[in-house]
Amino acid sequence: MSRPTTTPTPLARCLALAAKDLRVERRSGEALLVIAPFGAVALLLAPLAVGVDTPLLAELGPALYWLVVLLFGVLVTLRGSAVDGPHQRAMLALTGVGPRILLAGRTLGNVALLLGFELLLAPVAVLLYNPDLTGWPWLLPVLVLVAGGLAVLGSIADALAAGLDGRTSLGPLLTAPIAVPLLLGATGVLNAARYDRPPWPWLLLVVTVDLVAALLAAWCATHMEDVA
Amino acid sequence: MTPDPHPGSGPLFGRRLPAVTAAAVVAALAAAMMSPPDYVQGELVRLMYVHVPAAWAAYLSYAVTLAASVGWLRRRRPGLDRLAAASAEVGVFFTGLAIALGSIWGRPTWGVWWAWDARLVTTALLFFVYLGYLALRRAIPDPVLRARRSAVFGVVAFAQVPLVHFSVLWWRTLHQPPTVLRPSDPAIDHTMLIALLLGVLAFTLLHALFVRTRCRIAAARDALDADDETRYRPVAGAAVSAPEVGSHV
Amino acid sequence: MPHTAPSRDQPGVVATTRPADEPCARLDGIAVTVGRTPILRNLDLVLNAGEVIGVLGGNGSGKSTLLRLLATLVRPSRGRGAVLGHELGGPGTIAVRPRIALVGHLPALYPQLTLAENLHLVARLTGREERSADRALALVGLAGAAHRRAESCSQGMARRAELARVVLAEPSLLLLDEIHSGLDRDAVELVDEVVTGVRGRGGACVLVSHEPDRLTGVADRLVRIVDGRARPEPQAVDAR
Repeated sequence: MSRPTTTPTPLARCLALAAKDLRVERRSGEALLVIAPFGAVALLLAPLAVGVDTPLLAELGPALYWLVVLLFGVLVTLRGSAVDGPHQRAMLALTGVGPRILLAGRTLGNVALLLGFELLLAPVAVLLYNPDLTGWPWLLPVLVLVAGGLAVLGSIADALAAGLDGRTSLGPLLTAPIAVPLLLGATGVLNAARYDRPPWPWLLLVVTVDLVAALLAAWCATHMEDVA
Repeated sequence: MTPDPHPGSGPLFGRRLPAVTAAAVVAALAAAMMSPPDYVQGELVRLMYVHVPAAWAAYLSYAVTLAASVGWLRRRRPGLDRLAAASAEVGVFFTGLAIALGSIWGRPTWGVWWAWDARLVTTALLFFVYLGYLALRRAIPDPVLRARRSAVFGVVAFAQVPLVHFSVLWWRTLHQPPTVLRPSDPAIDHTMLIALLLGVLAFTLLHALFVRTRCRIAAARDALDADDETRYRPVAGAAVSAPEVGSHV
Repeated sequence: MPHTAPSRDQPGVVATTRPADEPCARLDGIAVTVGRTPILRNLDLVLNAGEVIGVLGGNGSGKSTLLRLLATLVRPSRGRGAVLGHELGGPGTIAVRPRIALVGHLPALYPQLTLAENLHLVARLTGREERSADRALALVGLAGAAHRRAESCSQGMARRAELARVVLAEPSLLLLDEIHSGLDRDAVELVDEVVTGVRGRGGACVLVSHEPDRLTGVADRLVRIVDGRARPEPQAVDAR
């Protein structure tokens, strides 16, 4: 039919794979129309368990927001609609796309979805908890960096649990304990900004976690390929 | 020394290692009993002689799991996978023991069962990381796939541990600063130090004994499966035979 | 027509080191075990350039596993093999994959995407223009259904879309698993045409079926998988 006209760059392939994931999500709505509302329910239920103590809730608000982002964000990365069956995996492999690019493409799509997830939940948390928003501009890099780190760790867990019966329960157990620095970094930045301390160290921590996770993902992708 | 041709057929516990371990445990117990009570904590300090060595054995286990995981990814030897798994199992046991003993020690000392201290939180997180490691192993029936994925997770998880610890350390710390591993003179009574070191030795030997035994059980199981495979096993398709057409009419 | 290896300087195409007289695929004493269950055992097979082989076998005999093995998607647990000049399990397997097309017995389409989007994805990943994907869809008679989601397509339409992927990829090794099931007469002719095209380019095809009639006339020779091995099967209508 046609010979390839250009060699697709790894980035172009990643973008094609991420675009596919986002298109599937647009049609299935699992991350933003199911998991995000579930996260919002968690934010709504927490005060019912804690008690309607407005100052306390304002204090707890940012922490609960990040906790929900961490725990429910892992579900976003493990969403069932993004699971590639054996036939789809074979098809992708036969396009000559290597395991690193497959993992990077999945991660890129996860970053976009996690950002959307965070942005959907942020106004809910502000509305319900009325937190002190001093130093809010720091939130912007933190949102991106946490989405990035969680996306990489989630993609690794997704690859590790691929094809297993308990993937949706196993994935969070594999991810959540090692994603703790993201939680501490995110809450640390906002706390530091509120109390007029430099938030840089916390931001640096999150950047380090992102970089280490990305390096680990690049390393493990080649070992993860289950075929020859 | 020639290798055992049937790795599963040897004695499970062996003779020398259990004897040495038992001697070390007895010596450690005696030293712990004979060491003086602490000026502040009194008799409670004796919990240190089991709590600290248990934590040491836990960290040692995870280091062994890491090394064996890296080794498996390079050499693909089944023995390394067995070692990684055995050490992780033993590590989870020692971590649980260290947390439980720490909690019992913390209640009268700090007044709470659980304190939000950096080392405690990191240890608890490690406990869950390796519970995840064992859950991952259980979820994969294929031996090669299991070895590969768990080796990858063994490395990824351990690589994150320093970051986890560092972040938790930043977050909060109220644990006593290191008292033994100081470059100058350790800030601990020498008798207590000897008792503690004996405890560490006993737990290290216990770790070795448990891991070796667990490896031998796994090797025996693998040998059984290998025997089963060398016997002629029918291919998957042999399970399907011609249907009994007409028998249902 | 001699086998024409894609040139080394052609973008996105991997050059092969396979000499013209070397077979497209060669399997020597191959065993494949999944978990602890042997699927293939001591299987030998040579697939020459321009050759079409029909593979027969009962349910669970390992026909699909053989195709996945030839597609470099399954690692042999024993034995040696080479596909398009690259050793199975060797470092060049990823590079050779774009020259292999596999149509499995279930569609490899993303159900939420349209047929065009599915084909565009393949085009983008292999460095082709999206227009060529549209042309491939038109060629298999799916131009009118290009914007229909795969989940709402019939089995036959999904099969045709898979064939469009083959048309787009222009493979040197074509592997078809029960391709005829769910296809109408036109589509069966299309399969023959695609197979002829691959053969004409010096490539090779393996067609798997449990119906010998389907393969008679299309395949140059038949083999049957029995007890994990490939045995020659006489070309006859009553081959069963």
